[in-house]
Amino acid sequence: MKKINRNRGIFLSVLVCLVIVYVCTVTGIAAISFEDASRILLHEVLHLNVSMEGISEGSILIIKDVRLPRVVLGFLAGASLAVCGAGFQGIFKNPMADPFVLGVSSGAALGAAIGIVFHFGTMLLAFAGAFVTIWLVYSISKVGKKVPVATLLLSGIAVSQTLSAAMSVIMILNKQSMDQIMFWTMGSLNGKGWNQTLMVLPYVLVGMVLLFTSARELDIMLTGEDTAVQLGVNVEFVKKKVLFASTVITAAVISVTGIIGFVGLVVPHMVRMVAGPKHRVLMPMSLLFGGTFLIICDTAARSMATWELPVGIITSLCGGPFFVYLLRKMKRG
Amino acid sequence: MDKGMLEFENVAAGYGEREVLKDITLSVGEGEFVGLIGSNGTGKSTLIKCISGLLSVKRGKITVCGRDNAGLKAKERAKLVAVVPQSYHVEYDFTVEDIVMMGRNPYMSLRKREGKEDYEIVEDAMRATNTEMFRERYYNELSGGERQRVILARAIAQKTKVILLDEPTSALDIHHQIEVMELITKLNKEEHMTILAVLHDINMASRFCRRIVMLKDGAVYADGTPKEVITRRNMESLYRMKLMIRQNPLFCKPEIVPIRVMEEEKASVRRHIHMICGANGAGKLLEELDARGYYVTAGVLNQGSTDYDMCQELGIPCVETEPFTPVTEEKQRENLKLMQDADMIVVADVPFGEDNLNNLYGLETMSGKIYFHKNALSNDFTGGGLVRRLEEMAKTKKISYFGDHDEFLEMLRKEETEGAV
Repeated sequence: MKKINRNRGIFLSVLVCLVIVYVCTVTGIAAISFEDASRILLHEVLHLNVSMEGISEGSILIIKDVRLPRVVLGFLAGASLAVCGAGFQGIFKNPMADPFVLGVSSGAALGAAIGIVFHFGTMLLAFAGAFVTIWLVYSISKVGKKVPVATLLLSGIAVSQTLSAAMSVIMILNKQSMDQIMFWTMGSLNGKGWNQTLMVLPYVLVGMVLLFTSARELDIMLTGEDTAVQLGVNVEFVKKKVLFASTVITAAVISVTGIIGFVGLVVPHMVRMVAGPKHRVLMPMSLLFGGTFLIICDTAARSMATWELPVGIITSLCGGPFFVYLLRKMKRG
Repeated sequence: MDKGMLEFENVAAGYGEREVLKDITLSVGEGEFVGLIGSNGTGKSTLIKCISGLLSVKRGKITVCGRDNAGLKAKERAKLVAVVPQSYHVEYDFTVEDIVMMGRNPYMSLRKREGKEDYEIVEDAMRATNTEMFRERYYNELSGGERQRVILARAIAQKTKVILLDEPTSALDIHHQIEVMELITKLNKEEHMTILAVLHDINMASRFCRRIVMLKDGAVYADGTPKEVITRRNMESLYRMKLMIRQNPLFCKPEIVPIRVMEEEKASVRRHIHMICGANGAGKLLEELDARGYYVTAGVLNQGSTDYDMCQELGIPCVETEPFTPVTEEKQRENLKLMQDADMIVVADVPFGEDNLNNLYGLETMSGKIYFHKNALSNDFTGGGLVRRLEEMAKTKKISYFGDHDEFLEMLRKEETEGAV
């Protein structure tokens, strides 16, 4: 009985998310009517036999090569951050953990800032920055063969603060690039096309496979690391695996989009409250809702005004208060 | 019993520089139920950690089911040894079934997910521990005793040959303590599982374990049946306190009765106090006077009475007679001889009947002062003989009456200070 209910719940959520994704794709400020946009989408993407009468080439281009890749990238980014957040909260057994907690974002931001200042490979430097940071944090925390979680978090905070300071120095020394760097750190999907989307995709896929196959071990680790060892979990290996996979995914995503906050923190929490702590459910549901959540935020970011808001601002604006609401509700419950 | 399930050869282990286990050599055979005892910090839990792979040994070797423990992968080890920790919290909303299913983890891999067989094993494990009725409930909503049963179910689901328990009953009330111990005994007897349990409670260990290993200073100090290990000498060296070992009449196992850690304030002069007792009411007074440094004697005691056992434990010289036999005049003469130098003669709370009234004969001829427990008057089965005896004694000697043993100690103290002045 319970299982049927859960299956129905999952089915409904998938349906609702699909509808939302569709609606978001066809809404926007460009003067394309809802109906025309729907027709383009149905004809060009789903190859349905829909009349294309009276639709300009430009409109088709906007939907197909601007809006659609943006929605797909948005979904990928949101899904990635949410799943990585779920994984991090799992290995750290800490509800405040998110994919950026070990300084991936600060490392990427520093890399991006250097790239922006020197007009050279911003994306590559961001990606490299993220990796170097995690490697640094990991090496600092390593004690023998083990990596204690508490040390990892603390050294993550320390390294992250140092890198942020370094980035501030770069910004002050290069006032002309300040705006650009600022915007980068707030995250945006603006102007991203199929190229970037396809570039991110393989990293995300590989990382996701690694994360999803750790679900059972992560469940057991939530009940305590010592217990997990006694139940046959290779705890150190799982930690490394999750750290590595999450870093690959997060670095790939934010090197393209910039830092989009709060998705990785709030979404796994929301899902956990509804679907429970088991990663086998938590991770796919986080993927679904994280992706959808970011698309909604991005649609708001590009439709609310004639100019674009960085989507990171929207996610934080929605996510922060929502998180407070959740905390208060949990305290009462 | 021939095959060693757990073998320790000169094992040393510890944290950082500090060595908690110094030299452990021990062998646990198949189907044994071994209790591991020792005071705090003697390395009982460290030993469990070494077996379960949380801590690697510094020297020596541990063999689990014939395989070198150091070379075992966590997954292989979890198929051989299951661990039940002491009270165990989970902050997340896992159901009882989820938790028990985690016991199947060692048998899972990327290719193999939970199958029908695993669900059956989990079902059996829950039935064996009587937890199947809260299958759907959240683990963290259960009471301590229920949780411990769930963890035991998880250990059963691991289908191991050995179960290690680390103080499985601490933090439980006695109902749940006994329930958990009975479950473990059942596993040992019916499933022939080898059990190694760290136990704080000596009496629990004595009652349920067939073999007890006592650790002290990082080494095995004693090893054998409860009777061999739980001796006054071993226990006093383990806990550094005054205690008593007696036979529990119900389970026929030795039982420890802790008496005191702090030394009693010593009496200013070592005087001789003789106790007239012989039932079960004088034990506390005997012990306390002895602890204060008085020279205590007693008589006439029936062998097998609680007061007699107490005198034996404390090494108090006494006149004894066979169980259920009257105090003869001859025995009383012996008794009078023992108390002739006594400074005080104390008649404890004893029920008097025809058989032991003789205990009071001749007291008035002694030099010591006589003290009498008032309550003995309310247990008078002599048909007036006791009162007549007391009246007779009172003609030649003053008798001081006291109500309880604190009052007596107070009288004693007062008299001593007055005597000093």
